[in-house]
Amino acid sequence: MKFYINATLAFAMLLCTAVVLAEPFVSGGAIGSQTDDGYNALGPVVVQPIEFPHNTHAGTMGINCMYCHTYARRSAVSGIPRLDKCMGCHNLIESVKDKPRIKQLFAYWEKKEAIPWLKVHDLPDFVRFNHERHIQRFYFKDGRPVREVCGYCHGDVASMTTARRVKALSMGWCISCHQKDHQESATNLKTSNGPNDCWQCHK
Amino acid sequence: MSLSNLIKNWSSLRVKRPYQDQYKNADYKWGMVIDLDSCTGCNACTTACYAENNLPVVGKESFSKGQAMHWLRIERYWGEGTELAQFPDHGAQFLPMMCQQCESAPCEVVCPVGATHHTPDGLNSQVYNRCIGSRYCSANCPYKVRYFNWWQYPERAWPNPLEKQLNPDVTVRSKGVMEKCTFCVQRLTAAKNQARTDGRRVADGEVTTACAQACPTSAITFGNMADSQSQVAKIWARQQVELASDKQDKKDEGLRGYRIFEELRTYPSVLYLERVRNSDA
Repeated sequence: MKFYINATLAFAMLLCTAVVLAEPFVSGGAIGSQTDDGYNALGPVVVQPIEFPHNTHAGTMGINCMYCHTYARRSAVSGIPRLDKCMGCHNLIESVKDKPRIKQLFAYWEKKEAIPWLKVHDLPDFVRFNHERHIQRFYFKDGRPVREVCGYCHGDVASMTTARRVKALSMGWCISCHQKDHQESATNLKTSNGPNDCWQCHK
Repeated sequence: MSLSNLIKNWSSLRVKRPYQDQYKNADYKWGMVIDLDSCTGCNACTTACYAENNLPVVGKESFSKGQAMHWLRIERYWGEGTELAQFPDHGAQFLPMMCQQCESAPCEVVCPVGATHHTPDGLNSQVYNRCIGSRYCSANCPYKVRYFNWWQYPERAWPNPLEKQLNPDVTVRSKGVMEKCTFCVQRLTAAKNQARTDGRRVADGEVTTACAQACPTSAITFGNMADSQSQVAKIWARQQVELASDKQDKKDEGLRGYRIFEELRTYPSVLYLERVRNSDA
């Protein structure tokens, strides 16, 4: 009996180890890969109502992120643009009006319904993250390019269609940047850190 | 705090706190003044605190077991040992009691996991994620202003659709963590953020706590003590109470300002103004 339990335990442990070891290979360790429960390595896989092409808008067209995500520079949240923001341009762009995704957009507009976009970079409720502080510091004060500044946390969105979460957004990951000595600007060699007090982010 | 930080700032970290003029060059040191002469014991501050900070109403049974979650409570005193005791109907005195945000807090040193610590602007913080619920801090708090979540209150206190009244800027605490008055840190953070964007310091009166805002008699004054022109700093100076001193050396007679349990060397950030009693009444 004793041997039987030990053998079962050993087998179970072996199985667990094998699964843990094999996991990166099975899932490929890639960010885009998805498990059955709709999660990948960095969180839930989000399927948006319209496959919004960030690569066209921010990449090809080179539109500033803050043209649509307009609150990022003056609020804690960056905001998802309202439908009339999309229509403001797309009403006037005749060349793409027959494209399937634009037809979807116009369908929402005709129905007078908001597009139910889903949140991709969803932080836990106990975290107080402020877009304004980061944008004011790195974009307006330091004058770094907007794609780089937003990309610190959001990755290179200009090369994606719908935005995907490519950074860990965990506490250790935040701290790793906050503890770095950031040069105050391109011409000013003085460095400073981000705040490391618990209550800056935990609420 | 990284190891390199620790080594670099070793000498400043080895200083006994608080010390004289500790916040002289700091931007913020939040403080409070409560005028007991103005306090009518109406409980508006407590109600405001419940609304602002997502405090659960625990119910009669839990309350009788001492499990109430009121971060700010009104204590009643019946003038024991004085002639006021003869007139219990007339002699009730009220004292709003909340976390005193001690500069040398007894709760901070005993936390086994560092869930409570001192912030640079002089607040005694409580990080719910880090708390393991040992309740040692509560045992060590002389003011008994730390409250423990004995139950999973969210479902009990805010059944659907009451959860919509919750303040999104404040965490809804779960079972097994300690909590306490934060001086409405979510408001302070928002005000500091706005001030930082404008490139200035938070002005006096720009931000206040929920209790001070709700007080009908303006008994509670809240502000930045690092700003010598603020209302609180002026009252502290007028009452000749020194933040970093455990024994006040008052030059003038008849000053009402005192801090509770000052002799325990907790160096509280809340100043109380004694009630003026008419002993002939």
